[in-house]
Amino acid sequence: MGMQGDFFQLLKEQGYTLGVPTAVGAGYTLTNATTILAFKYRDGVLVAGDRRATAGNMVMYDRTDKVLEIDRHSVMAIAGVPATAYEMVRILEHSFKYYRRTQLQELSFDGKLRAVSKLLKDNVPAALAGTGAVVPVFAGYDMEQSAAKIYFYDILGAEFEGVEYAVSGSGSPTIRGILHYLNTWGEQPLNALLQEQAMVQALRLLASAAEFDSATGGVNREASLYPIIKLITGAGVQTVPDATLKPLYESQVVRYV
Amino acid sequence: MYEEPYRWVEAVGNRRQYLNDQFKQGSPVVALTYEGGILLVTVSKGTPKLYEIYDRLALGGMGHPTDLERLRFSLLEMAHVEGFNRSPSDVTGSRLVKYGIAPVIKQAFEEVYKAPFIVRILVAELGLKPEKDALLTINYDGTFEEATGCAVLAATPTVQTKMLSYLKGQMSATLSLEQALDLGLRSWAIGSLAHQQDEEAQQAEANPPITRAGSSAEAIPSSDTLIAHVRGIAGERMIECAVLDRQAAGTSKYRSLKQAELSRLLPKALQSVVAN
Repeated sequence: MGMQGDFFQLLKEQGYTLGVPTAVGAGYTLTNATTILAFKYRDGVLVAGDRRATAGNMVMYDRTDKVLEIDRHSVMAIAGVPATAYEMVRILEHSFKYYRRTQLQELSFDGKLRAVSKLLKDNVPAALAGTGAVVPVFAGYDMEQSAAKIYFYDILGAEFEGVEYAVSGSGSPTIRGILHYLNTWGEQPLNALLQEQAMVQALRLLASAAEFDSATGGVNREASLYPIIKLITGAGVQTVPDATLKPLYESQVVRYV
Repeated sequence: MYEEPYRWVEAVGNRRQYLNDQFKQGSPVVALTYEGGILLVTVSKGTPKLYEIYDRLALGGMGHPTDLERLRFSLLEMAHVEGFNRSPSDVTGSRLVKYGIAPVIKQAFEEVYKAPFIVRILVAELGLKPEKDALLTINYDGTFEEATGCAVLAATPTVQTKMLSYLKGQMSATLSLEQALDLGLRSWAIGSLAHQQDEEAQQAEANPPITRAGSSAEAIPSSDTLIAHVRGIAGERMIECAVLDRQAAGTSKYRSLKQAELSRLLPKALQSVVAN
């Protein structure tokens, strides 16, 4: 019976497979480029992502939410093939709930990390075939240790801890350097930033990524389109509303040169 | 030997009697709607009797803990697979009960050479709107009933009726959680007292008859008497209480009330019981 409380196993027993390796057809371009980032600030961890979904040169969609809430204390930001990524998020969401409800206790933070790795590992054939590569950043608040944590993955499911920050997606090389510089020689290390300062930095970082990567969407003020920023603290996940981002962007990100 | 129809009917009859006996020691379960959602309450001996099934579904049970666990797992499994394959809004209590576990319970009950489930189950479902709130009860033979407003589990139909009529007499759409908890516990006490009386009556039958005032047992005890009864029992047991809270943030609406919150909400006479 359900002693293990493993929802993914249950799905597999019912004949479900996550990634089916299929070669990409010639002349077809998958949606896959993006920029996502996560860093620790004073109260917890900030996770942000742009909103553009592209397939080759084409912009598929400009209101994508790539920073997805999995439960009250964890968030997965996704880069890669969205179809697979959204499916993974749905599996994780149900897995954590199923575990809590069957076992009558929360899945530990390490258990959650392991669940992400397992999904990525099962997805390797699809990732290598080119149709299902997902490179997520998983961030959350470990209630047992009262600490914010960030992890990033490669497409094979290897898990790395981002002690201060983690980035992923096509626009990430640009901002990885900036994050390193800021954290090492900035006025203060990232983990000392106050909430508002952290949000401003996130907006600036995504604007920098959009500057150098065509697949990363910038802010579109005419359409009131701002990046997705989520803050995770001991109190849970909180999505920053556009109404908060707008004045910050206008006063501290835009430069009228 | 059960191939003969008469034998089979007899065997099912015996089984009914056996099962009825199993619930005599059980603790009743009460579910009722209040202004903010649905409240479930019982007094348990140690193993919990109230559980979370899905985003908007809660379970209460009476009977054998292992049987309850088996059915709880199949409910959880069905709900989560359905919620994943379709959507969370397609997971409804009525589908899970009618097409999910009720047929399984009925089959186990009628296969007289196998063990039946010793359970009575209550499934509470928080609707998107208050008028969609639903309560379902399933008996050990697989028969189910749908209700709105309030529902109970108890040892016998007579006790259930007693509890329900008490609840219905005092229900209103604007009960606060505090008031609902008070009413729920009093109704639980009605059920628990009736269980005790049934047992005493049975013992009295076995022994030479003592003059009993039959009619006085029918009178409904005062609120204070009922709360005092809960107080007497809750000392060695545990008041268990859970809500499906419409205002809860996020998708999961189930919350079991922890000691601190419970002692704040309980009637004054009971607060010290929980604090200890």
